Amino acid sequence: MSSDLLIENQHGERMRLSMGPQHPATHGVLRLLIDSDGEVVSRAVPDQGYLHRAIEKIGECVEWAQFVPYTDRIDYVCAMNANLAYCVAVEALLNSDPATAVRVPRRAECLRVIVAELNRISSHLIAVGAMAMDLGAYTPFLHGLAQREAVNDIFEKLCGQRLTYNYVTIGGVAFDLYPGAEQEIASFLDRFEEEFRRFNQLITNNRIFRERCAGVAPVSAEEAIAWGLVGPNLRASGVDWDIRRDEPYGIYGELGVRVPVGRGYAGARGRVGDCYDRYVVRLLEIEESVRLIREALRLLPPKADKPSDPLGGHQADVGKQLRKPPRGEVRVRTEAPRGEMGYVIVSDGGKQPYRVRCRTGSFSAVGIFEHLMRGIFLADIVTIIGSFDIVVPEIDR
Amino acid sequence: MSALPFSELAARIRARFPAVAERMSENRQPWLLVPAADLLAVCQLCRDDPELDFASLCDLTGWDLLRYPAQPPSDAIVVAYYLHSLRHRHHLTLKALAPRACCTLPSVSAIWPAAIAFEREVYDLLGVQFSGHPRLTRILLPEDWEGHPLRKDYAYPAAYHGVPHARAGQWFEDGPARAPAGAAPPAGGAA
Amino acid sequence: MNLGPGVDALARFLAGPEPAWWASALAACIVWLGPLLLIVLPIAALGQIIERKVAAAMQRRHGPNTAGLDGLVRFLVRCLCWFLPRATQERLTARLCRLPGMQLARRLGLGQLVADGIKMLGKEDLIPGNADGWVFRLAPYLAMCGALLPFAAIPFGQHLVALEVPVAALYVAAAGGLTVIALFMAGWGSGNKFSLLGGMRAVAQVVSYEIPVGLAIAGVVLWCGSMDLQRIVASQYNAHWASFLGWNFFQSPFLALLAVILFVAGLAECQRTPFDMAEAESELVSGFNTEYSGLRWGLFAMAEYAEMFLVGAIIATLFLGGYQSPFGEPAIIALPAWLAALIHALMLTLKASALLFVMVWLRWTLPRLRVDQVMRLCWITLVPLALLALFGVALTMLAAGSVAPGSAYGRIPALPELHLTPLAHALAWVLPVAIAALLIVLARRQHGRLHPDLARLSGAGR
Repeated sequence: MSSDLLIENQHGERMRLSMGPQHPATHGVLRLLIDSDGEVVSRAVPDQGYLHRAIEKIGECVEWAQFVPYTDRIDYVCAMNANLAYCVAVEALLNSDPATAVRVPRRAECLRVIVAELNRISSHLIAVGAMAMDLGAYTPFLHGLAQREAVNDIFEKLCGQRLTYNYVTIGGVAFDLYPGAEQEIASFLDRFEEEFRRFNQLITNNRIFRERCAGVAPVSAEEAIAWGLVGPNLRASGVDWDIRRDEPYGIYGELGVRVPVGRGYAGARGRVGDCYDRYVVRLLEIEESVRLIREALRLLPPKADKPSDPLGGHQADVGKQLRKPPRGEVRVRTEAPRGEMGYVIVSDGGKQPYRVRCRTGSFSAVGIFEHLMRGIFLADIVTIIGSFDIVVPEIDR
Repeated sequence: MSALPFSELAARIRARFPAVAERMSENRQPWLLVPAADLLAVCQLCRDDPELDFASLCDLTGWDLLRYPAQPPSDAIVVAYYLHSLRHRHHLTLKALAPRACCTLPSVSAIWPAAIAFEREVYDLLGVQFSGHPRLTRILLPEDWEGHPLRKDYAYPAAYHGVPHARAGQWFEDGPARAPAGAAPPAGGAA
Repeated sequence: MNLGPGVDALARFLAGPEPAWWASALAACIVWLGPLLLIVLPIAALGQIIERKVAAAMQRRHGPNTAGLDGLVRFLVRCLCWFLPRATQERLTARLCRLPGMQLARRLGLGQLVADGIKMLGKEDLIPGNADGWVFRLAPYLAMCGALLPFAAIPFGQHLVALEVPVAALYVAAAGGLTVIALFMAGWGSGNKFSLLGGMRAVAQVVSYEIPVGLAIAGVVLWCGSMDLQRIVASQYNAHWASFLGWNFFQSPFLALLAVILFVAGLAECQRTPFDMAEAESELVSGFNTEYSGLRWGLFAMAEYAEMFLVGAIIATLFLGGYQSPFGEPAIIALPAWLAALIHALMLTLKASALLFVMVWLRWTLPRLRVDQVMRLCWITLVPLALLALFGVALTMLAAGSVAPGSAYGRIPALPELHLTPLAHALAWVLPVAIAALLIVLARRQHGRLHPDLARLSGAGR
């Protein structure tokens, strides 16, 4: 028998298992080096970087507006939010000097909320569906995917793309709504709510699913903050913090975002901040997103003839400002589905960014893995990966 | 629970560490320049002082000042620490300079575990050594990669494991324009 | 030789009134292989497509729906009518492909079955460099044996059973246990750590779940007073036209509970979701069969479906009247023997297939348990429940004042010895069910409270 099954005896009688980079449950090309004693994992060290595409380096080599399509690739599960994060940051840079100030038309702001929240829904559907799939329930994933397809259909009509949209631009959005889009989005939301209930009936309250997640890898609020968890992962630990509400950008301040937090939803066996809480918080965020889209549709000003109209336009003129942006730096964060997407942008006053830094949610989520993955079952590893909603391009950039 | 403005935050820190300097970027974003010697103690104060209470390190990143048109010119690497207090809801930006010659800063990973991954990334891409870091290895690039790509004087390696980076006729603006003769096989060398 | 009336009759037919041992053995083989080749193997081969179709229906998609049999028809036309001109061949092909059956085949994706089969046979047979050669090669065949051997003792009809022995129930459980050895050999022999983990899980799980299986079988043996499967089936005979009333499942809630336990444990023995620890795609890639390809992998897949069918057949035999029809069984046994045998075999196939369908249904509904939860379910839930049910069965029999005498070779229409009066029968149902319902209500009140957010998400509060 091959003797390397029980290898590396410096770990005692442990077996070292290389999970990934090609593995069904690592959501891409994450690799985990696992030291296990049979089923019990004594240590798991994440090894990332397999999907590094040097996006931050590219950012220094392209012009301001040319970088937007690259942000799609930072997180292609929610490319709208990734576009939005960068564009909001560049606008903040431009606005830091009155000479280059740019005012995004109100209609564009509403459209940004609509597409960002639609994309949040579809991204969370992937997250919760893939988590269910990791736990062996395949059907809910496909039901979620069907709804994601509906969102993609809307986006395809809107901007011609189904995955990497390049829709949000600096100073607005690339295209106005196509005719009948409002009705289509509204009717999608109605259909979606029914489907979403069925999805939850199928999996959320399933006893096996709950038992698999309850009490697994609980993260306390202090730990979550110290380890830099963001977004739903942070809220699941009971920290009431959402950038859309607490540092609003765009028109989020008017929408009154309600923030769900983890409460130990799994019941008797559950703990605040366990895998089930992370899962449920995402579901509740989907619910909230549906409300936000309806609200934004209600606020949507009528379309104006001129694209740069401050009320009904969809794209402010920024060409002049982008040729000579103010020198300096800015840090802006937005709430993407995987949590804070924060940009540090340094400008030397030239046509290109001097430095673009994108801080993403999955990156810090992977940081806490080694801390959490001790003394758990091998099967819990996939639960944890799924519950943190890892998207590998976002880690590796 | 009250958010303090930057001036008061700065005053509290400077009362203990007079070497810390208040600065303002060209577009009026305030930050504190912390000498490397004080960095750990300042960070500790920022986290533990109940008035400051910066429990979360939102981001830690850096950039190379080599080509930045600053006055006076500098060739140091800036490392920026973006702190946030969830309780008081206030922000603070700390910066420390790591000169190229001795590119080392103390690691804050013992104060905020979030820094473990961030510092690895800064080390990987900018080549700043963080002393006291539990495992300062490359995180995004392969272990045997040479150089730190986000440095402004970074030269693209001509080849990696015998795979040339530039195809025949391809040219990078700030790369090693042409592969040194003999260092890399020409395009299609593997075939 | 005395191998049961059916086999003996066949042996006498083959080799005269005093058949030699080899004739008896041949007859037994024929009786074993008949149902195997006609029923079990086709179902095992169809299993894949049944599974995919059920999954597709549950996921509101079409599943395999493009591969019809058109290509096969064209190929056959080319081969068989080679002498015709090419245009005529094409016209003939087109005509044949327009037949309604062909449309249905396309709709059902039956061509997928053929394509899968060809692909499976044509794939490279990979053996990993550090595999343990013969262990690796042998495992799939052993798995197949484990799935097929028990069918020798399953009665498909009054005389359709190859191995009619007084300990048939034991034999079925024992022969079925071969699979676990195969799984472990596959896991160990592959030289892959994921496979090894899968093999370990398989052994731990299957060995544990043998106990509830054994207890469930013991309950039926106690009730029927025999370990002979023929006799167990016969004892479920009821002369009423609604003959399902005689089935063990309807005799006592304790027997019904044992049937459920046997089903759950059987799922675990087959390594099916929610108990597919050994495969666990998202954890162990594909567990014990990660390294298998081509025909060897195909054998594992077929063994899995054959084993599911086996579990269905065992549950049908023990609890659901075996090969008897749910209605009008007295009329069926009055038919000519060959016709009755045909109907009986069909009945058992239908029952087992229905249970197989439920297994597929469960797989595409439920998530997977964790390895410790699988063990906890076995030792803390199923084993005590099975013991309780066993005790309940014995108590019911005592209360009825009757202990069934054991006798070998029972035959329909020998009526069962155990008779409960209608009042006792009603009480035997009402009391345990009432107690169980009370306990369940209390437990739900204690633990089952759903957070209002979760209730809202699933639309419970609407």
